[in-house]
Amino acid sequence: MTPRLTSSCIGPAIVALCLLAVALALGWPLLTPALRAGPAQHYDIPRMVLVYATLPRLATAILAGAALSLSGALFQIVLRNPLADPTTLGVSAGANLALVLTMLFFPALLGLGRDVVALIGSAVVAILVVGLGARRGFSPFSLVLAGLVISLWCGALSAVLMLLNSHYLVSLFIWGAGSLAQQSWDIPISLLWKLAVIATGCALIIRPLSLLELGEDGASARGLRLQHLRALVIACGVALAALVTSAVGVIGFIGLVAPTIARLSGARRPAALLVWSSVTGALLLLVADETVQLLAGDLGDFLPTGAVTAVFGSPLLLLMLPKLRIRHRLQKSVGPARPEIPPLRSMLWAALLLTVLAVAISLMLGRPADGGWGWLSGDLLNDILPMRAPKVFSALASGAMLSVAGVVLQRLTGNEMASPEVLGINAGAVFGVAIAVFCLAAPGLGSQLGFAAIGAIAVITMIFLFSVRSGFAPERVLLAGISLSAMVDAVVGVMTTTGDPRALLLMRWMSGSTYNADMTSTIIVSGAAIALIAVALSARRWLDILPLGGLPAASVGVCLSRSRLALFCLAGLMSAAATLSVGPLSFIGLMGPHLAREAGLLRALPQMAGAAAIGGILMVVADFIGRTVAFPYQIPAGLVSALVGAPFLIWMLRRKA
Amino acid sequence: MSSPIQAWRFPSPMSAERDPTTLSRRALLGALASAALPASRALAAATPRIVSLDYGLASTLLALGIVPIAISELADWDKFVVDPPMPKGVADLGSSLELNFEVLLALKPDLILTTPYLDDLLPRLGAISRVLRVEIYSEESGRMLPAAIKATRTLGLQIDRQAETEAYIARADALFEDCRRRLSQVARPPVVLCDFLDARHARVFSRPGLLTNVLERIGVKDAWPEASNYWGFQTIAIEELSKVSDASAKLIAFDPIPDDVLPKLKRSPLWQALPFAQPGHFRVLPPTLLFGMLNEAMRFARLITDLLEAET
Repeated sequence: MTPRLTSSCIGPAIVALCLLAVALALGWPLLTPALRAGPAQHYDIPRMVLVYATLPRLATAILAGAALSLSGALFQIVLRNPLADPTTLGVSAGANLALVLTMLFFPALLGLGRDVVALIGSAVVAILVVGLGARRGFSPFSLVLAGLVISLWCGALSAVLMLLNSHYLVSLFIWGAGSLAQQSWDIPISLLWKLAVIATGCALIIRPLSLLELGEDGASARGLRLQHLRALVIACGVALAALVTSAVGVIGFIGLVAPTIARLSGARRPAALLVWSSVTGALLLLVADETVQLLAGDLGDFLPTGAVTAVFGSPLLLLMLPKLRIRHRLQKSVGPARPEIPPLRSMLWAALLLTVLAVAISLMLGRPADGGWGWLSGDLLNDILPMRAPKVFSALASGAMLSVAGVVLQRLTGNEMASPEVLGINAGAVFGVAIAVFCLAAPGLGSQLGFAAIGAIAVITMIFLFSVRSGFAPERVLLAGISLSAMVDAVVGVMTTTGDPRALLLMRWMSGSTYNADMTSTIIVSGAAIALIAVALSARRWLDILPLGGLPAASVGVCLSRSRLALFCLAGLMSAAATLSVGPLSFIGLMGPHLAREAGLLRALPQMAGAAAIGGILMVVADFIGRTVAFPYQIPAGLVSALVGAPFLIWMLRRKA
Repeated sequence: MSSPIQAWRFPSPMSAERDPTTLSRRALLGALASAALPASRALAAATPRIVSLDYGLASTLLALGIVPIAISELADWDKFVVDPPMPKGVADLGSSLELNFEVLLALKPDLILTTPYLDDLLPRLGAISRVLRVEIYSEESGRMLPAAIKATRTLGLQIDRQAETEAYIARADALFEDCRRRLSQVARPPVVLCDFLDARHARVFSRPGLLTNVLERIGVKDAWPEASNYWGFQTIAIEELSKVSDASAKLIAFDPIPDDVLPKLKRSPLWQALPFAQPGHFRVLPPTLLFGMLNEAMRFARLITDLLEAET
């Protein structure tokens, strides 16, 4: 290494050493009981477990962590986007979906090659995402937005398939969620040689990668074939992620956190970044896995490590966030040129009409006991309508509220990816309710709402604190939100694996189901929706001015701190109320505002009204489909909304920038 | 990072077939139904319209000659219960945890059979029709086979089919005696009953479970050294199977086994070093409802007797 490289290695080396120390400290209690055991009897349980279960598991953690971080680092370098990693680009989710589909419908194919199936799945997703990104000039946000949307869609489809086949596929759940449990050395050994091959390939392209620093024009001027290099590097990243997903399921977060930590601790050049990302990622996943094994005890194998990596990655990321300098110039996303918009008034009337139509159909059309289709009539009307009405109106109110909250957040942070979901506000509300359910004996609706609101506002405050000093730089806000959301998700997930019956209830509610909606909760939610949306509409002046930036807004007379605080709290309240009635919906808050904007509603008032209508209609339709398509089984509306909404949004993103 | 999808990544470790969560806390709801209802005369007349929310109760109904008008999770009957086959024309109520109340309401049943597992739904069920809550698996039940017989008698009393019930119980007794007689003439190695959750974990069934009681009845020894919880099972890691000290013991696993388990076990040294990995010490039985009632006990008795007879 040249002297310049060595000096930039001190920072990452220190981080690596710290992680190594923690890993060794945690590994000690895991390994010593077996080593201390007496003379080997015929089947010495501790020794067998050590050699064939614990050590392979630790080896797998190291290799999977290294592979995912390498993949993340590659994506981040070639796409010049600090938010890219296999999870945010949807690559892991695509591989997972391909494996689930094959396992359920073509099990014979799995025998031929699990890895091939995973590679195909992730390749398809990668092509889709990168293709969409290319159309918008590789703007970092559209790339991550496309990846996020596709990842959500793949995840929702996997979840629905597993839901409908849940009885004998418990192992499918645990494996798909990133369980590192092993019973032989097969997986670590196969991962090792595959990783070695790809890593060698990466070593060969480090030089061309450094040329990317010069920017597109500079690099082509030096003779670099940009398209080929991009394709090759992305292929390597995709292959790494697919291989890990095929071996141990989806492990989130490591690919995002490790390269960021490596970069923030001083590894700047591509070679150093690749090496130190891998090292940091390997140690990070090792520490996470050891902690899971120690804390969970006997249930350690049932708690998938992949799902809780966020608990370890997020605090680290949040700690280092202030040091994140915006190296990559972020392109402003340009809205597509609009050919001709129909008059506003007629659009809003159309929206109203569609809403009424959707509600009416959802209420009256259903599937009677014999499995056909039928309209409600006669005396069934009196029995069944009171059961359907709460669900439909809860869905309508919650969808509208979340959409409007999304509009408020996007305008407030000036960042088109903000939404209650992405910013972790929904997760905060869920966390609040989880605490209420587990700590209070029988929390009533009022106290649940209170806890949810507190949770949501707590998350908002934390994001505020983490990003206010940078003036709400979009990157910081997003990273902070993603970290918090993932962390809260993971903690709630851990609470639910305890097998407690309340946890099962919490889980069902968390997937966005209107199953438990009744008259009282519907009235409260609808009332809240009307009140809060009215407040939001009345704040339209602020919402028109704030996206222009802090200085222009202040110069026009908008009190920045007061308006921001008020709007944040409003968004938090709306998310809390909506989350409480139908669980955290995974999509509407992100998608509603985008669809409204793509439809031509650019100013605050029309966008909010349009988003409310779109969000409401979408949730009603999702609830309807969830209740009828797998009759008599019911699919949670939250999952269906992701399945239905994502293709819409992808189609809209296809339009060239 | 999306909460709904994360939610489905965290299953309960015991959700393979049923979630035997500790619902005995719902004691306050135990005051409902159970043994305190007077028998309804009206049910004796025509065939009663009965809905069953539990597989065991549904199969008992079939044995008593009544076809339920609807059960929950009908789609999986053939995968988990298999025998007796559910006749056509029975409506499906969807998943037990998310029962389709629209179908239930439209069917207008006379009686709904439920278990403590679904206590959450009791208020809503009570609004639709009469509910009979039969408690078989609970901390106070003790040994399962007598508890199942007692529950069968309770059910028979409530639907006014006492004669059929006694005949049914007598048939079961006769079957167990016949199995005992057949097995007394062949070699009877001790057995360990299990089902695989994944390649690393399994549930072992031992006392006071239903299946172990059946083994005692027909004269086969249970080789597992420890007792289980009141549902009759214990979740273990594969290597703990080495706790079985009897070298002649056979491991009997129940279908359905997840597809990737057996190939992985073949390649796992943890499994290969077990005495059960030797040829002839590991057998797989067709699916049997593991937390069922008398019918399931009879099916298991038949299956294990056929197996042990064929081995010699």
